[in-house]
Amino acid sequence: MSVVAGEGAAIFRLGLQQLLASRRSWILLLLVGLPLLAAGLFHLAEESNAREFADDLTNQMLVSVILPLAMLVMAAATFGNELEDKTLGYLTLKPVARWKIVLAKFLATLLVGGVPVALSGLVATLIVVNDDAAGAAAVGLGLLLGAAAYGAGFVLAGLLTRHALPIGVVYVFIWEAALASVLDGVRFVSVRQYTLGFIHGIDEVQLSTLDIELGIVAGLIGLTVVPVVYLGLAVRRLGRMDIP
Amino acid sequence: MSPEPVISVREVSKWFGSVVAVNDVGFDVFPGVTGLLGPNGAGKTTLLRMIAGLAAPSEGGVRVLGEQVRADPELYRRIGIMPEHESVYDFLSGHDFVELNARLQGLADPAAAADKAIAIVDLAEAADRRIGGYSRGMLQRMRLAATLVHDPVLLLDEPLSGTDPPQRRHFQTVIRRLSEEGRTIVISSHILEEIEAVADRIVLMVSGKLAAIGDYRAIRQKLNDRPFLMRVDCDDPRTMGAALLGIDGVESVEVDAEGPLRVRSHDIAAFQRALPGTAAGLGIRLTRVDPLDDSLESVFEYLAEG
Repeated sequence: MSVVAGEGAAIFRLGLQQLLASRRSWILLLLVGLPLLAAGLFHLAEESNAREFADDLTNQMLVSVILPLAMLVMAAATFGNELEDKTLGYLTLKPVARWKIVLAKFLATLLVGGVPVALSGLVATLIVVNDDAAGAAAVGLGLLLGAAAYGAGFVLAGLLTRHALPIGVVYVFIWEAALASVLDGVRFVSVRQYTLGFIHGIDEVQLSTLDIELGIVAGLIGLTVVPVVYLGLAVRRLGRMDIP
Repeated sequence: MSPEPVISVREVSKWFGSVVAVNDVGFDVFPGVTGLLGPNGAGKTTLLRMIAGLAAPSEGGVRVLGEQVRADPELYRRIGIMPEHESVYDFLSGHDFVELNARLQGLADPAAAADKAIAIVDLAEAADRRIGGYSRGMLQRMRLAATLVHDPVLLLDEPLSGTDPPQRRHFQTVIRRLSEEGRTIVISSHILEEIEAVADRIVLMVSGKLAAIGDYRAIRQKLNDRPFLMRVDCDDPRTMGAALLGIDGVESVEVDAEGPLRVRSHDIAAFQRALPGTAAGLGIRLTRVDPLDDSLESVFEYLAEG
């Protein structure tokens, strides 16, 4: 049976309900509102440097802060909350393959966390550069792929440790924001750099005012390999761990 | 030829660091109700979790219906476990919660299976209410409905803890009904009275070890035969102590330095019957009578030693 039908669909729906019912959805709402607010203020101010502002908005706000934090808040809770409140047994004590559980919960997280961030980026870019629908779509698509990579990593972190949230914050601000900006080697293992490289790669106008190191191939490979590896590790972890 | 056991626990041990939670336990479970009895910390929950595949044994193995649970999620089509903690998806209605479990079991008609399971636990009238608003007894019954929705071998961990007497009786009635249908049910508790009301057979655990196994009547008899230690305070301990030695079943009487008597008897009922009359006959006033070792732990320790 496919993951989108039967028990996979039931877990997907459950995941949506859990995430939407949690207080974390309010944090998400706040995070995805910030780029729209910034874009709206820029629009009202009628500034002329739209390209530069759009690139800074994408790089410094959306990809560096909003995207990882939004996915951290939602994805760390995907299994983390179930481990904490001891409801995970309702899923693992069923004849459902572990990969279906992980994939269904991951897709729910991506829908609740990643899609709003991608839409926020898309709409904010349109507000700032209102004649560039293709560029806005590139930003939205890049953010969605970045959300998948971050989401898979934080889903795994939620299965590995009860402290996924603080560890994730350290990862986002130390590894992704600080080290990946100054150390050349780290750029090749940075979801932020993959996302920026992908966005710039599919629409060269986007982020053209910045110095983007990675090309579309490296970005796409990174954004594909990272979620696959992390989700694979999550399936393995779920299959071997003692469920509380 | 003896029938194949439904559950087979073979020399199972489980330790967490230097703490041994279950130590070399082995037994078989057959259809009917098997009570897993023991004080808190005896290892019952850890053992049930290993039977259900939630935790891996450090040593030994568990087979359910001939298969290793942990290696094969498909076996969960035939097993249902109700953990002790009462966490549920409290944003769901009772019916949605049971139906979710039916869907995850891959049943052909999850809604109908949920209706049937909810009817078994007599909760149809509350099925559309949010499960987060249920009383403890209702919650336990709805969790039981979710556990039995696919007609499995049932593993129930302390299902009666925290329930009031009417809720307990209702739950026990449901368990007995399920047992009469030929199901295999393992139910854990630290209270013998809870277990003996439903169980055909008892597995007694103390400090992670298998202390006794068998018919509940035999274990109950051992319990009744156990020597009790009582404290008796009165205004003339020496005279009273000498008189108490004449009561049937009294094995020894010690006079505490501060005055109270410590009486050991292997027939507590006879002692309780004779004590007031003996004191009154001697004109002695009793000021306090207390059991000194009536904790569950001491009862279980006695049974384990026996």
